[in-house]
Amino acid sequence: MSKNAKPFVSAERMYDLIVAPVITEKSTMGSEHNQVTFRVPLDATKPEIKQAVEGLFKVKVTAVNTIVSKGKTKRFRGIVARRSDFKKAIVTLAEGHTIDVTTGV
Amino acid sequence: MNITETSAEGLRREYTVVIPAADLAGRVDAQLKEIGKTVRMPGFRPGKVPMSVLKQRYGQSVMGEVLDKAMSDSAAKVVEQHSLRPALQPKVEIVKFEVESESDLEFKLAYEVLPEFEPADLGGVAIEKPVVEITDAQVDEALGRIAAGRKTSAPLTEDRPSAKGDIVVIDFDGSVDGEKRPGMKGEGHELELGSGSFIDTFEEQLEGTRAGDHRTVNVTFPEGYHAAELAGKAAVFEVDVKEVKQAVEATIDDEFAKGLGFDDLAALKTVIRDRLGGDYTVMSRLRAKRALLDQLAELHSFEVPQGMVDIEFDQIWKRLQDELKAGDAGEDAGKDEEELRKEYRDIAIRRVRLGLVLSEIGQKNNITVAREELNQAVLAEVRRYPGQEREVFDFFKNNPQAVESLRAPVFEDKVVDFILGQVKVTEKPVSAEELMQDPDEEEAA
Repeated sequence: MSKNAKPFVSAERMYDLIVAPVITEKSTMGSEHNQVTFRVPLDATKPEIKQAVEGLFKVKVTAVNTIVSKGKTKRFRGIVARRSDFKKAIVTLAEGHTIDVTTGV
Repeated sequence: MNITETSAEGLRREYTVVIPAADLAGRVDAQLKEIGKTVRMPGFRPGKVPMSVLKQRYGQSVMGEVLDKAMSDSAAKVVEQHSLRPALQPKVEIVKFEVESESDLEFKLAYEVLPEFEPADLGGVAIEKPVVEITDAQVDEALGRIAAGRKTSAPLTEDRPSAKGDIVVIDFDGSVDGEKRPGMKGEGHELELGSGSFIDTFEEQLEGTRAGDHRTVNVTFPEGYHAAELAGKAAVFEVDVKEVKQAVEATIDDEFAKGLGFDDLAALKTVIRDRLGGDYTVMSRLRAKRALLDQLAELHSFEVPQGMVDIEFDQIWKRLQDELKAGDAGEDAGKDEEELRKEYRDIAIRRVRLGLVLSEIGQKNNITVAREELNQAVLAEVRRYPGQEREVFDFFKNNPQAVESLRAPVFEDKVVDFILGQVKVTEKPVSAEELMQDPDEEEAA
């Protein structure tokens, strides 16, 4: 697949891709730079996420950055366990576009 | 805050209040900041929640609070600035306000003020108070009734056979169809002849006996006797008369009074007199109060707040509707609605006016209701529900506003007493019947 080709994302896949908004101190700092943070599946790709956000919220996305947060290792009664990893996507919107993260899709 | 008076006619006052949007927004922000210091939200350290998030989460409710406060503040300010004496809560009508566009808040306050008036001079008021004298004959009659209820018995003074009204002490043993039954046997039973406490002609058949006599009494159980297997059956009782006594009327003297727990006869008589007089005193006080209120109503004719009349009228009207539905409206049943409405509206106006007059007089003369008097009223109320004193008492203990609702009648009574002390009251002796009849006549009129 060439770099500029858009991947096909079905409507169902779009809803699967955007798991939840991330609302924390750090994420709200991004709102000053027109950035919105979402939690996405581990297998989501940046082009997919761009398609999904544009399709669901009817906005224009200029960039997508992703981070995989590794799950913490926790001990409970001597048993070592590991929390699941998760992927965050920081989506930069084009000038003039906003998403109200509290209203949901 | 910008307050303008838009209309003032009669007792109605209307004001338009404008609160600029910036003012409101400032207050909302201040309050949000206050919340932000303490609120805990997942994803944020306490006190570090950004304003935008707070606004999104709490903006609506804070705005509501601020609006509420702004309105009540400005209402209080209106009252203070124009030194109003509002009769009721003001009617608030929002003229212009949108949350989204952050427009100015503009609302109307419609007040009804209490009328200014001078209580009429009470010096010229004269009232007739009907009073009932309790005669000695009435006391004696009551005494006689008590005595009749306390008959004692004594052995016969002369030698004669028993007669109706006498008490015979008997042993009896009864049988049905030659078979003895439990419960049909008794020893040393005191039976008053002619009292009808035994079945059929049992008592008649024992008349004319003397102590030591033996009689065989044949009776038939009545149909419908409570023990079904005996009903309608003939029974034979073997009766031994042990003693014949005669009933003695209690003599009314100090001894008799002592038996009832009084010191002497005079004390008993006083109590009876008080008891008899109690009802009449209450009644004559009511009559005097009514006469007084009638006079007061005639003396005053100021305008009364429409809102208060409406509330009073609605109450009366609702009760009337209930009565009509229950079918016991009495003389009101035949009248058409138009007529009734007018009639009861007049009554409502009269009541409101009298209420205002009484409270004005009470205020002018520093009449207040003390805590103890309120407690007494509560106790009086509690006593009206015998058997449920506990519940009623708890109800009052848990509902301070219920106690407060008793304050008004107590206050009214005190004011009426005060006025009765001021005006000329002539006592008019009447008979008990006259006193009790009066209200019915007036209601019919």
